[in-house]
Amino acid sequence: MGEATASTEVTQVAAATSSQDPEVGLAAVAALRGLVEVLEALQVENARAKGWSWQQIAARLGVTKQAVHHKYAGRRFRFRR
Amino acid sequence: MAQRSEHADRVLDLARAEAEGFGHRHLGPEHLVLGVLRDGGSGASQILEAHGVNLAAARVELRRLAERGLVPGPRPSDAELLGLIGIDLAAIRRTTEQTFGGKALGWAIREATRARRRGVGRVPRTPLRDPPMLISQVLVHAGEQARALDLEVIGPELLLLGVVTDIQTPWPRCMNNRWRRQLYASVGLPKGYRGAAGPLLEAFGVDLDQLGGALLAELGAGVP
Repeated sequence: MGEATASTEVTQVAAATSSQDPEVGLAAVAALRGLVEVLEALQVENARAKGWSWQQIAARLGVTKQAVHHKYAGRRFRFRR
Repeated sequence: MAQRSEHADRVLDLARAEAEGFGHRHLGPEHLVLGVLRDGGSGASQILEAHGVNLAAARVELRRLAERGLVPGPRPSDAELLGLIGIDLAAIRRTTEQTFGGKALGWAIREATRARRRGVGRVPRTPLRDPPMLISQVLVHAGEQARALDLEVIGPELLLLGVVTDIQTPWPRCMNNRWRRQLYASVGLPKGYRGAAGPLLEAFGVDLDQLGGALLAELGAGVP
């Protein structure tokens, strides 16, 4: 079995049914959420390293400062300033 | 602690390629069996072939297992899924790494997928990480066997022996929790998935004790 063939097949199936098929649509959203969470963690940590307050970060993210603090206060990575 | 040999790493890479070929978004013990067979140059693959398992037939059998619902059918990869909604995963990975560095990205991936109080914002997996390797028990068993046999490196034979022991041993309870179940569901694995190497070898009528004995003999320990 050729790997390329199987993969192309999958892509074609996915492309043909992209917007209508919940199977594909929901999986795409789940992948997107996985991506967003990583990018958010990176940006929040970077902002903290630059001295931003939780309040400022929360305002940009559109959530309360408690929410963002609750989610990220236990972080461990330190960007070099 | 025994290290994996280059040969074993090659088998793992081939197993990954096999998983990719089947459109599977996880790496399980069943792919390891295929990896050993595809590599072909080891004592492990000769023993498997002596037990009537060859690559072409094993692939057919795995496809049959997919039809029976023991492993998922082909699924689009995260990159393909994101491409459908107009997002270039490779570009995001590249720019993020350039801006923040690989170390920070690795930290953020762990941060997004780690256990948190009340699970706020945790995701079972992220497209920025490789497909999950569900062979931790295989590697544990291979390591234990290496220690028992006083071997320095883990080769393909020990990997396959790990697969055999994994089939014969129930998974520990810690492997069954909400996050693991969510992770399995996110790659399309059926409920109660414990690796599909067992059904795969069973389809060929392989006697696991005999296979394990032959592998031990190959490793120079003699049949127990």
